[in-house]
Amino acid sequence: MLRHLPPLLALLAAALLPALGASPYVLGIGITACIFTVGAASLNLIYGYAGLLSFAHLAFWGIGGYCTALGAVSLGIGFWGGLALAGLLNAALAVLVGIPALRLNRHSFVIVTLSFSLLTALVARDWVAVTGGPLGIPGLPAPELFGLSLRSPPRFYWLALAFAALSLALLRAVTTSRIGRTLKALRQNEPLAQAQGIAPTPYKLLAFAISAALCGMAGGMQVFYMQVVDPLILDFYYFQTFLVMMIVGGAGHFWAVVIAGIVMTVLPELLRATAELRMVIYGALLLFAMVAMPGGVAGALESWRDARRRATAERPDPVTAAAS
Amino acid sequence: MTQERAIDPVYAAQLTLNGLLLGLLYALIVSGLALLFGVLGIINFAHGEFLMAGAYLMAFALPVLGLAYLPSLLLAMLGVALLGCLAHALFLRRLREDEFERSILMTTGLSILLLNAVQYALTATPLLVDTQFGFDGIDLGGINITWTRIAAAAAAILALLLLWLCLTRTQLGRAMRAIAQNREAAMMVGIRPEAVARNAVILATALCGLAGAALAPIQLVQPSMGQFLIFKAFALVIIGGLGSIPGAAIAAVLLGLLESWIGGFFDAVWQEVVVFVAMMLVLLLRPDGLFGAPRMRAG
Repeated sequence: MLRHLPPLLALLAAALLPALGASPYVLGIGITACIFTVGAASLNLIYGYAGLLSFAHLAFWGIGGYCTALGAVSLGIGFWGGLALAGLLNAALAVLVGIPALRLNRHSFVIVTLSFSLLTALVARDWVAVTGGPLGIPGLPAPELFGLSLRSPPRFYWLALAFAALSLALLRAVTTSRIGRTLKALRQNEPLAQAQGIAPTPYKLLAFAISAALCGMAGGMQVFYMQVVDPLILDFYYFQTFLVMMIVGGAGHFWAVVIAGIVMTVLPELLRATAELRMVIYGALLLFAMVAMPGGVAGALESWRDARRRATAERPDPVTAAAS
Repeated sequence: MTQERAIDPVYAAQLTLNGLLLGLLYALIVSGLALLFGVLGIINFAHGEFLMAGAYLMAFALPVLGLAYLPSLLLAMLGVALLGCLAHALFLRRLREDEFERSILMTTGLSILLLNAVQYALTATPLLVDTQFGFDGIDLGGINITWTRIAAAAAAILALLLLWLCLTRTQLGRAMRAIAQNREAAMMVGIRPEAVARNAVILATALCGLAGAALAPIQLVQPSMGQFLIFKAFALVIIGGLGSIPGAAIAAVLLGLLESWIGGFFDAVWQEVVVFVAMMLVLLLRPDGLFGAPRMRAG
């Protein structure tokens, strides 16, 4: 129980933010941090744990956005119905894309998932009857809970926070479960895991589906925050942001990616960086991480800790002592 | 309307020539990508930004050199090759074999950095590039071709020919093919992989810079010009067989023609979709054969 205490305390502190008189601007940053952190964490499940670099998450994010919006506007199932539909549809799409894509090697996986995202962007732009074309669907209604409108910044902030808390809890549960350990085993040594009687594909598909569902629901949250969905939701900017957050935090480290998601949303705002300058910094960070610390900040800390342990443990290792 | 146009031979010839030029420029981009995959085993996500850099260098060099086409083209090509050399020395050199995901993330970082730095410094406003040829062209029985397009096609054909000669007839090219075919054996006979990788990066980025520079007077120059083109190029590399330079180049020319015809006779949407549909078909019919053996063939 004690190990759940720090995240719960952080959640409590975050929930108290509107009560402490935070301005709508600060709450807006908080909402973005919540949504983007879920995006980065969902990418972490598929790359950090399952070892698959998926570019399809841009499509899942965008499809989730459109699906939630259409649910509320056209299908009459409201925001909640749309959000649930976004999760289910994306999970189904992930399986549909994943089955052929996983049959190929990892080179093709990258290109096929990338093409899926590009095709989705084309569909969003050109299927005018459903998506509204380049203009999109403006004027999305406010999400409601028990007849209560969640439009005001504090209320939408609480909604985003609750969504992030539940999504991250689910992802945490998956990554610490037997499924998460199996995925890690598969990433480290697939033939060995197969020799233990583990079939890789169902596990990878499951991770892909969960990750796609959560990423899509995060996209649904994003469009209701912006109150409009248009083809810009499929801009590479979003995917690149999630990618940089995950890599800089440390792929495969759950809390590191969550912290990176929050810090990397808040810090550019504090520095008053423009959109281009922020992306210049993100690009430089990604390059730096790939050159100097491929494991991200968490990976660098881990290897530094290991090195220090090795230095302090002066006792010679029995194995090497015997060998020499 | 479309029926009438479909019969018109002049219109069809115009489309064919436009498509051929487009395909030749695609071929320059794609052969560089295939070379990089063959020698370094990477997919270069920053290739579109090298193309964009070539176009901008062309746009800046032309007024300085008194609108002279050829010197500006060569300068832009050289500049991009230098940029590629720098990218190899700083980043790509650190990639070891079997670090495919790291190579994608690294080149993605480079792509984000270059694209947004250009956008930050020069704004996203498109540039219209003027050359010594202006916007004049020749008239072949109703078919109108501008001189900038003819020059671009000539440069592309020459560059592709030189690339083929380099790969098959020179020691430099043989070393690249040797590394691509069997790394260990190549090292055993004294080929240094790092130097060969550097040469391949310089060659690939120079081709890409040339494509960008030749494209600059034909279409608008803007920071995002490389983005969509590069995704098509990835699909082409798969269709042609990854690592196979002639395969990729032929697929590129075919796509250029196909896109031009489809764009001329059907809805513009299909023009952009055709490459991905072709890739899916190829992957379905030959899932292993195309990606399976990362070997480079030059003829």
